[in-house]
Amino acid sequence: MRFTWKIGGEAGFGIMTTGLLFSKIANRLGYYTFDYIEYPSLIRGGHNAFEAIVSDEEVHGLKKEIDFLVCLNADTFKYHKQRLTSESVVLYDPDEFAIEQENIIRISVPFKKILSDLKGQPVMKNTIAMGASLAILGSDLSILNEMLDKQFSRKGEAVVDFNKKFASLGFDQVRKNFPTQTKSLLEKREGEQKLVMSGNEAFSLGAIAADCRLYCAYPMTPSSSVLTTLASWQEKTGIIVRHAEDEISVINTALGGSFAGVRSAVGTSGGGFALMVESVSLAGITETPIVIFIAQRPGPATGMPTWTEQGDLLFATFAGHGEFPKIVLAPGDVVEMTTLTAEAFNFADIYQTPVLVMSDMFLSESHKTMKKSFLDKFLDEYKVNRGKTIDTFSSSSKYLRYQLTEDGISPRLIPGFKGQYYQANSYEHVEDGHTTEEALARKQQVEKRNKKLDTYLLNHFKPPKVFGNIETSQTIFVSWGTTKGPILEAQAILRGMGIETAFIHFTHIYPLKEEVIAPLFKDSQKRYVLLENNSHGQFGKLLRMETGLELQEKLLKYDGRPFWPEEIVESIKI
Amino acid sequence: MSTIQDFTGYTPTWCPGCGDWGIGIAIKTALVQMGLNPASVIAVFGIGCSGNMNDFLNAYAIHALHGRGLPNAIGAKLANHKLPVIAIVGDGDCYGEGGNHFIHACRGNHDITVIVHDNGVYGLTTGQVAPTAQKGFKSKSTPSGIIEIPINPLTLALTQGASFVAQSFAGNVNQVVEMIKAGMKHQGFSLINILQPCVTFNKINTYQYYLKQSYKLSAEYKTDNFEEALKISTEMTTKEKFPLGILYQRERPTYTNELPQVSTMTLVEKQRFINFEELQSDFI
Repeated sequence: MRFTWKIGGEAGFGIMTTGLLFSKIANRLGYYTFDYIEYPSLIRGGHNAFEAIVSDEEVHGLKKEIDFLVCLNADTFKYHKQRLTSESVVLYDPDEFAIEQENIIRISVPFKKILSDLKGQPVMKNTIAMGASLAILGSDLSILNEMLDKQFSRKGEAVVDFNKKFASLGFDQVRKNFPTQTKSLLEKREGEQKLVMSGNEAFSLGAIAADCRLYCAYPMTPSSSVLTTLASWQEKTGIIVRHAEDEISVINTALGGSFAGVRSAVGTSGGGFALMVESVSLAGITETPIVIFIAQRPGPATGMPTWTEQGDLLFATFAGHGEFPKIVLAPGDVVEMTTLTAEAFNFADIYQTPVLVMSDMFLSESHKTMKKSFLDKFLDEYKVNRGKTIDTFSSSSKYLRYQLTEDGISPRLIPGFKGQYYQANSYEHVEDGHTTEEALARKQQVEKRNKKLDTYLLNHFKPPKVFGNIETSQTIFVSWGTTKGPILEAQAILRGMGIETAFIHFTHIYPLKEEVIAPLFKDSQKRYVLLENNSHGQFGKLLRMETGLELQEKLLKYDGRPFWPEEIVESIKI
Repeated sequence: MSTIQDFTGYTPTWCPGCGDWGIGIAIKTALVQMGLNPASVIAVFGIGCSGNMNDFLNAYAIHALHGRGLPNAIGAKLANHKLPVIAIVGDGDCYGEGGNHFIHACRGNHDITVIVHDNGVYGLTTGQVAPTAQKGFKSKSTPSGIIEIPINPLTLALTQGASFVAQSFAGNVNQVVEMIKAGMKHQGFSLINILQPCVTFNKINTYQYYLKQSYKLSAEYKTDNFEEALKISTEMTTKEKFPLGILYQRERPTYTNELPQVSTMTLVEKQRFINFEELQSDFI
């Protein structure tokens, strides 16, 4: 069982809130969801839309056919009708606009009349629509009413009841007028407790799990909800969130905090990261741990702020002047976002260097079901590993901040310890931190920093995950990060058609370890297809640079939209 | 009790006669007189002749990027607000490259002491104009004289909310010591703009020039009068008259005072948060 429910309306009238409410109701009823939003870079005017894919099995990505389309305005029908089929159900108000199209199932709901009869606010149209949707999907209002209680209880019983009334009117209209059209898709089913989480929320949770104590950011779509989520958790968790004057201040505040001993992170999108780049290099030479979250959107420059792209991979990987180590991670879904984020903080401390976590609008702003049992287990098992961070130094000799070591990592003393001092120096330095221009010391420090990546490849690099059987499949998808969901969905569709495929999914993006990756590509008779949400095939270039492997066949998408599983299937069938 | 020697690192590389010598000894003297030692203070250095003090002064320190010292200092203060934090920066560094950070640090009343070496030029890059250079100042980057008028750091700091604004002169080390101590004792953002002759690249703003153009604020001067402070500060622009002393001081809650998260202990001292269940209701 799998269906797409989509709602659309004018920007500024609560479409996103209503959509998320729908996802949460479906999860409380025991189903799995994945959702996706479309919105322009505007607060009022313009068209907003939200879709949720609901199933009794885990959902990884979108589904092209819309099964239920809830039109709160005429634009919703106009923009999305090409995704309807003869089975599709459209909820709309004939008093607002007419639908000529015959080969769909039309369910009329008198939004306008209900609102005017009860003197409701325009935003309550959403509540009517939610009631009507639950009716057509064969559910009841119990969960919705529980959530309205939760949402409005602070405003008093009268407000709660007033809202519930709109829900029940929408519900009753459908039950009464369209009894034969009602499906049995959302009946309560048994199952373990589920959480509905966006990529940005998963990053926030991963950061708190990892004991991040300072988060700095300047708002930039699509990263901003990390800032607002963590800001709202300050009281509960004790984290300090600083919304600084610009991204340069953002990263330098975080580096100051990290120097003084607290785990620190920043978050932004490509443009904001561009401003931070000089300081990424500062973190590199001063060997100051920092986690940098980048939620990509289509560039260049302001680009398309509210859409998606994987266009900043090479920029981010090579950001920063001079040569210094950097670790780049790219989660593919909310589970990987939580775990990799928490690991990123360990890596930053262990390797005392910048660690980048790459997301994009598609992962950052879409919600996906996460099993609560998974999260609880992860939070229970995760260990904060601060590597060679020390808060005391017992030797009688002088502490050396940049001591030459076998693994390239020097003990990092938290400032304030009595009897010692050192500087985190942006200039090249000798072992104790003082500035140098001497040839041998320079060479030793460069080699020391470089060694950290060798140590990482040895101790912490994770090879890509393989989905499907690489030996028996003729076609093998190769991708990184957020394309995971659409590819998994495409594999499932292909499997239904009798076509077995494999998928090599990279999350540890840079540096890459040739000897564990090359064997995955050893069969030259197979068809390897590189999929990326950008136009340059950036990961393909990185893979070639790091391993010498070159992938000829590419499926690249760069219109600001995520992949449809169906388009991946189409491209493979040829 | 620490000594000047405890704070003394490498031998300075400043030009003979440079105002930085006076500032360097004043900073060390102030730290000693305040009962601090190299392990009990965080110093953030900018880039420039002033920032080169990183190797001459012993402390837990960051030698920052050009212009970015203030946010580093703010971050260090957020993490450990019990350690005093000083930022040792230049005029090009703090008012040019890092100007945006400066005004927002004033607004936030972050409890850091910003010691600006104001010599009107970029000494380390061989004498181009700084934002404090007077109109018409000729330099390698402005051979016909600078077109812009100088920034007024005191007026800027006052109007952006700095709660302690002082000016000093590198030719009077004792007064520099007093200003640094007063700034560090002040709870909140403190600016000490130090007029610092560059003997190599600035032949206009010399020791003689400042001796003639500066004056000490009188003993009767009231430091909590914002309007008066503003009026006096603008005379640097309108009359080339440079007041020396504490121009303005009024306490208001510092940034970390306003953070309940660190009301009982510093951020770095706290225990890890582990009540994750409290956060999960947002997702149901």
